[in-house]
Amino acid sequence: MINDFIDVYKNRHDYAKDWKKKNPDSKVVGYMCSYFPEELFYAAGMLPVRILGSHEPQNVTEPYIFGMYCPFSRDVLAQGLQGHYDYLDAVSTAYPCMHLGQAFDSWTLHVTQKKFYVDMPNRVQTPYAVPFLTGRLEETKQEIEEWIGREITDSDLKEAINVYNENRALLREIYEMRKADDVPLTGTECMYITTASLFMDKKDANKLLKETIENELKGRKAKTADDTRLMVLGSENDDIKFLNMVEEFSAVIVTDDHCTGSRYFWNPVEEQDDPIQAIAQRYIDRPLCPQRDYPERKRLPYLLDMARDWNVAGIIALQQKFCDPHELDKVALLDWFKENDIPTIYLELDVTVPIGQFKIRVEALLERLREDELW
Amino acid sequence: MADYFAGIDIGSTMTKVVILGDEIIATVIGPTGVEQRRLANKVMEEALSRAGIPFEDITYIVSTGYGRINVPFADKQVTEISCHAKGVSRLVPAARTVIDIGGQDSKAIRIDANGRTKDFVMNDKCAAGSGRFVEIIADCLGVPLQEMGTVSLKSKNPASISSICTIWAQQEVTAGQAKGRPIPDLVAGVHRSLADRVVRMARRIPLEKEIVLTGGGAKNAGLVAAVSHMLQTALLVPEEPLITGALGAASLGRNMVEKAIKKGISLETKKRVLDVVQIL
Repeated sequence: MINDFIDVYKNRHDYAKDWKKKNPDSKVVGYMCSYFPEELFYAAGMLPVRILGSHEPQNVTEPYIFGMYCPFSRDVLAQGLQGHYDYLDAVSTAYPCMHLGQAFDSWTLHVTQKKFYVDMPNRVQTPYAVPFLTGRLEETKQEIEEWIGREITDSDLKEAINVYNENRALLREIYEMRKADDVPLTGTECMYITTASLFMDKKDANKLLKETIENELKGRKAKTADDTRLMVLGSENDDIKFLNMVEEFSAVIVTDDHCTGSRYFWNPVEEQDDPIQAIAQRYIDRPLCPQRDYPERKRLPYLLDMARDWNVAGIIALQQKFCDPHELDKVALLDWFKENDIPTIYLELDVTVPIGQFKIRVEALLERLREDELW
Repeated sequence: MADYFAGIDIGSTMTKVVILGDEIIATVIGPTGVEQRRLANKVMEEALSRAGIPFEDITYIVSTGYGRINVPFADKQVTEISCHAKGVSRLVPAARTVIDIGGQDSKAIRIDANGRTKDFVMNDKCAAGSGRFVEIIADCLGVPLQEMGTVSLKSKNPASISSICTIWAQQEVTAGQAKGRPIPDLVAGVHRSLADRVVRMARRIPLEKEIVLTGGGAKNAGLVAAVSHMLQTALLVPEEPLITGALGAASLGRNMVEKAIKKGISLETKKRVLDVVQIL
């Protein structure tokens, strides 16, 4: 069960290729940003898969993307240039940050020609955002229909919404279980589950999630109340090695705010007469990426509530090196947690994690949180 | 019989041991070298010999520094952040900020009146803000490391040296030499460059007085002057700025034992044997 998610995480390409063999008339579409409205594509019988990096050093992207763009965007592009996603029928994104935007443009020039670009508004706080995105999604729907040669009906859309909402509810249930004093799964295990879900057919993922919750997590104690409760937050993060290192020090990561973690699935599509508008509303209302958290800074109270609800003692803020939206976000964020007495450390992620250097910072944070032991 | 506590700080460049009774009763400072696990035994032996006490008399041993996991006889490992905070607080109770310039990293720690860490920052993924920077330039200029500070203070017109990268700075120094710049100006420029990097990092935490400078960098008068000039404030330097980590480790060991006694529990300790560790 958890092991099955670990298998998918490690063998994501085999999973997609197997899916394609089982569904020979269907297409696999890769996407680069968690604002991508997967429901539309799932309703057309496709498998949307998130394109992530490999955490392996590479030397192929230099001619195709700026060196000062974040290591994640370069790692993502490297996956395409190295042919790891050669099974994709199309590549797509919702309007992302500038760095992933260039990875997408470069990918469409040099790797996969068929593309879908969903013009997700950046200013989600204006009243025009939902009607704007609804219109854009209508256009994307038409583009998909022309490509597959059939209509996507309201019934297809509603079924896709149901499958995705079930997935969100199940992942949320697992996060709720992490509120317990004796946490049933480690943060590392949870990262495997949420990240693997990004690559899976949601019907498969939902079946596996139900089995995992029922038969593995209920009554399980992966960590105890003696372990220090932490939250991780920041930009894209599927750095299993880092999480694992943190949890070796009698600590447990109980929640997160990453676009590959909670931000991906937190809120469901609320039912409306027009399913396209319902989908648009969901992406406008979802927990914000720092790029879209303006003019009102909604992330600050949202993250503080999450830290309190999950009863965390400290926070590790992680961001991809050179990530502009998070670089700007972090200034207010670190002050905010300081004002609210939640000790926080800030680390920059690269393609590979400097474990030794991060260890001392994490251990020093934990010593600060457990100061009664030492002082 | 008095209780004795030992702190051993294995840094990237130097290994330090402090044996603490009611006061410091012995200190040893030696180079870390490549065989740090063997060296841990040797420096502890030396410290015990100077203190004139047998190993069994040490109640509790705490190791710290980047080589802290390589001390097989340590009862507990604690990061150098907590240890420097505690050690400095013991020596300078009024200290509220510690700036430590070590061999391969530098850090700034905000502490409270009890020596507890309130916040800290460390240099990021690069040793350009550390003592290694001065070592490399000293090598490049043929100036003995211990004279770098006094040479820099002779400069009336410090050179402008990049603070971004040690290797680039080295190239700038070589180019300056080729143009005939006086060595004191180049050395002073290097110290300013290093100080600039350290101060920029340290400013990420609120710098509150008294500010204490520790680590090998604090033994360099030129660097102390450059950091002090940039911060526009006087800095305090302990008599032996290398030992604050080891002293803090020993002091935290004492705290832990005293806490355990109050709680009526006993702490696990290792066998007091200085075995030679086989390095695979």
